[in-house]
Amino acid sequence: MLTRAIVISIVVMGAVAVVSAEGKRSDLDGVWILAKSADIQGLKLTPAGEAAKAKYDHVKDDPDMRCIPATITRVMHTPSPPLEIRQRGNEIQINYEFMDVRRRVPVKAGLAPKDAPYGVKKYPHLGRSVAHYEGETLVIETVDHGAGVLDTLGVPGLYESTQMHTVERYTADGNRMQVVITHTDPVYFQQPFTVTYTHQKLPGGTIENWGCVPSEAGYDRFKKSTR
Amino acid sequence: MHITRIAGALAVSFVLSAGAALAHHSVTVNFDTTKALDVTGVVKEVKIRNPHSQIILDVTNPDGSVKTWFIEWNDRNAMVRRKVPFNRLKVGEKITVNVNPNRREDNVGYFRTATLSDGFVLRDCGFAAFREAVANATEITC
Repeated sequence: MLTRAIVISIVVMGAVAVVSAEGKRSDLDGVWILAKSADIQGLKLTPAGEAAKAKYDHVKDDPDMRCIPATITRVMHTPSPPLEIRQRGNEIQINYEFMDVRRRVPVKAGLAPKDAPYGVKKYPHLGRSVAHYEGETLVIETVDHGAGVLDTLGVPGLYESTQMHTVERYTADGNRMQVVITHTDPVYFQQPFTVTYTHQKLPGGTIENWGCVPSEAGYDRFKKSTR
Repeated sequence: MHITRIAGALAVSFVLSAGAALAHHSVTVNFDTTKALDVTGVVKEVKIRNPHSQIILDVTNPDGSVKTWFIEWNDRNAMVRRKVPFNRLKVGEKITVNVNPNRREDNVGYFRTATLSDGFVLRDCGFAAFREAVANATEITC
């Protein structure tokens, strides 16, 4: 009985472990939900960042109101909709339920982010991304962000410029996953700042259609019937 | 304005319940989650959808005129996962909805509970209860 259990354990472990030349990679595959609120550290705005934040009006400026995902940072801030990660050979697939964002990131050593394809063809303002592994950690680097609203939830009214550079670091330990996004943008931020998301696995979870309709998401939804 | 039980201005209650406190941050941008009031009316429309569901209520004023209220609610996908029995809402039924008032509009609120004509109290326990249930591998219960 014990021998059988050991054999089964080895088989299961072998199935989930992805081994690269650098060693064992975190097993990120699965559907994840936020386990707690995101943690923001090191946020220091430049005068331009302060001015942009002061002018921000969520009724007019929030891309959510037009069913547009502002940034990956913003998408990941939404508490309820899960995300799904699939590590597929030379490609990382990340499917976010929020706003139906479907992201594909090549894993290619030596590829500069500026030469990488857009991560989400439908939304090129989300930037060009390339991934690699550092030990067990998946690292996604993104440049060529579109200028505009960066976040509307954690700290509403943050903006990003085309100089924004983000580095996402994914590690998992069983049913928990941590994602740390480091943001560097000298136009709006005095120094790099991080947003840390802690996720838990959603067993049997699936990504459902979001199907956002602008006429139902904008502020006018409070003023008239949609029928 | 016919609000049968104005828990509003007179009975503003501090309703930082677990659900409200952990709610989507955009809720607090649009709605005052420190206040709650009851709105009684007849269900005109129920739109369970993403990113925000909506219940439209026709509220009859004392002078007989009708004011339409728009009640915002959570996204459909989350409520399906949390097994919220929103199908119990029926067009034409008279219900009382407890809401957080909107900060700009006087006929808009954010859903907290709805008392249906048979006395059933409809609620959504929220994301915090859901993730706790997931973490404990239990069914979500309200």
